[in-house]
Amino acid sequence: MSQFQAIEFYKTSKSSYRLLPFRFIPLDEERYVLTNMAGEYLVSVRDKLSDLLQHKLSNDDPTYIELRARHFLIDEDSSIAPELLSIKLRTRYDRLAEFTGLHIFVVTLRCEHSCPYCQVSRQSEDKLRYDMSPEIAIGAIDLALRSPSRNIKIEFQGGEPLLNFELIKFIVLEAKKKNQQRGKNLAFVIATNLALVSQEILKFCREHSILISTSLDGPKDLHNTNRPRPGGNSYEKTIEGIKLVREMLGRDQVSALMTTTEASLNRVKEIIDEYLAQDFNGIFLRPLSPYGFAIKTKSYRAYNAERWLDFYKEGIEYIIELNRQNINFMEYYAATVLKKMLTSEDPGYVDLMSPSGIGIGAVVYNYDGSVYASDESRMLAEMGEEKFKLGKVLENSYEQIFTSPNLLDPLEESFAYSVPMCNDCAFEPYCGADPVFHYALYKDYVGRKPESEFCSRNMETFRFLIKKMEGDRFVRQLFTKWANN
Amino acid sequence: MEKEAKTISLNFDSQVFSLIAIKKAAYRYIDSFSADISIENNEVRCLLNFTSPKSDESCARLADDFKKEVLDQDLREKLKAETEPVRNLILAHAFSKTGIVSNEPVSGD
Repeated sequence: MSQFQAIEFYKTSKSSYRLLPFRFIPLDEERYVLTNMAGEYLVSVRDKLSDLLQHKLSNDDPTYIELRARHFLIDEDSSIAPELLSIKLRTRYDRLAEFTGLHIFVVTLRCEHSCPYCQVSRQSEDKLRYDMSPEIAIGAIDLALRSPSRNIKIEFQGGEPLLNFELIKFIVLEAKKKNQQRGKNLAFVIATNLALVSQEILKFCREHSILISTSLDGPKDLHNTNRPRPGGNSYEKTIEGIKLVREMLGRDQVSALMTTTEASLNRVKEIIDEYLAQDFNGIFLRPLSPYGFAIKTKSYRAYNAERWLDFYKEGIEYIIELNRQNINFMEYYAATVLKKMLTSEDPGYVDLMSPSGIGIGAVVYNYDGSVYASDESRMLAEMGEEKFKLGKVLENSYEQIFTSPNLLDPLEESFAYSVPMCNDCAFEPYCGADPVFHYALYKDYVGRKPESEFCSRNMETFRFLIKKMEGDRFVRQLFTKWANN
Repeated sequence: MEKEAKTISLNFDSQVFSLIAIKKAAYRYIDSFSADISIENNEVRCLLNFTSPKSDESCARLADDFKKEVLDQDLREKLKAETEPVRNLILAHAFSKTGIVSNEPVSGD
């Protein structure tokens, strides 16, 4: 007879654990994704999930250990779990208290390009009609600096903002002067096609640490088809511009964004190769938005969510293979989602925020003094829909603008915690509300999620990324690196 | 000629499944079929109306998926009820020191 008790004696009884709040959703035919309040996830087969919910899971089951470690259940050995979850949850929502950090100044609508999918540009020499005035600029600076955020980023957009570079200079100098007493961290970005960039412009950018964000849609023929301009040389101008910026400001002072048109769909590898050839560390594969000329010219409807997802998945697979060959390259949308999945930080990406990032994450001061809740909101306004117009720079106070019903109503109504299907969706911690997208397509801040392209596109993206991580240790390590970048 | 809309009738024991779980499952399939939901005796009756043209096979598959979804939704309801106190505790703790919630009365009233 043994002197010791049998191992069963020391085991916790099966029902002695308590469940912590979590949500679950099918990943595929066999597996489910479980997410806790802080967004940590775990993949489990259905039987284990069912055992867990019925308090039948044994404490020596490997799944039990994982569930306990990731705060899905609590037992006598893990009583601190609710407190840890609270801290992680608070970290996730930390940005909310900061309020608006990104302030977009549309210094002109004029542009020398005539891109068919562009939402907001005018081919016009009429400076008075389409340029922001210094009076509006001063009012907008005052509003931007009123934000409680310690970090204020001012982004210059257009049209082509370099067509009104004099005003950019004025805004940078004025904002710095007005910020002397406030002491906030001010940063500046110019979103430009670089066709008009010059050494003189870049000298000013260097003096004031202004970053450059440009557009690169892929190889020369694709880029030039997407972005027509007089001379048909948009690509050449962009590449020359990127080189000049790097020479004068430094290699990492310029980033690029691409737009996916129908012509891009079969060319994702070539597009990525172009970014590699231009020495970028990554790419942001993003679909067209349903606003402005993209709708008018039927560019938006040229492909559906399914076709875009094929394009996206092919791109991710290719980037993973590049990394297997020791070529460091990243996809930024995946990196944004992965940060939400694998860390407690929120990347603050406006489209993937709930409460929505409109007004809270970013705000737009249009050339004519109108204030919009987001860049997409002003694009919607270009289509005649002013549902997200918050007021006018010279006519309304900070309080009136940021308590406008045009901001508060969509924020409240679209909050995913209270939206049918989102409220019990396991992907809610990774997803966003995006009331502007839903209003543009469905005339409703929320939309019916089973019919929402935003929902289907994101759900499939989340499932795809999780499946890739679960099935391949190399991908798991790579994605963890992207998440912590 | 108009195609006849297909329907499938399903019954759920109301002692086993909550009405809210069935409604939530029906909402999730709103892009595939509409559902007439009624209660008869101890059963919740769901008449699934497939509006867009679909084969018998795909209708049957969707009905099967719907039944699984009802089961999932029922488990979600159970989980939500069981974890409500701790969920509220975590939320309260998470935002207790942020200064977001003010006890000060609003001025100017």
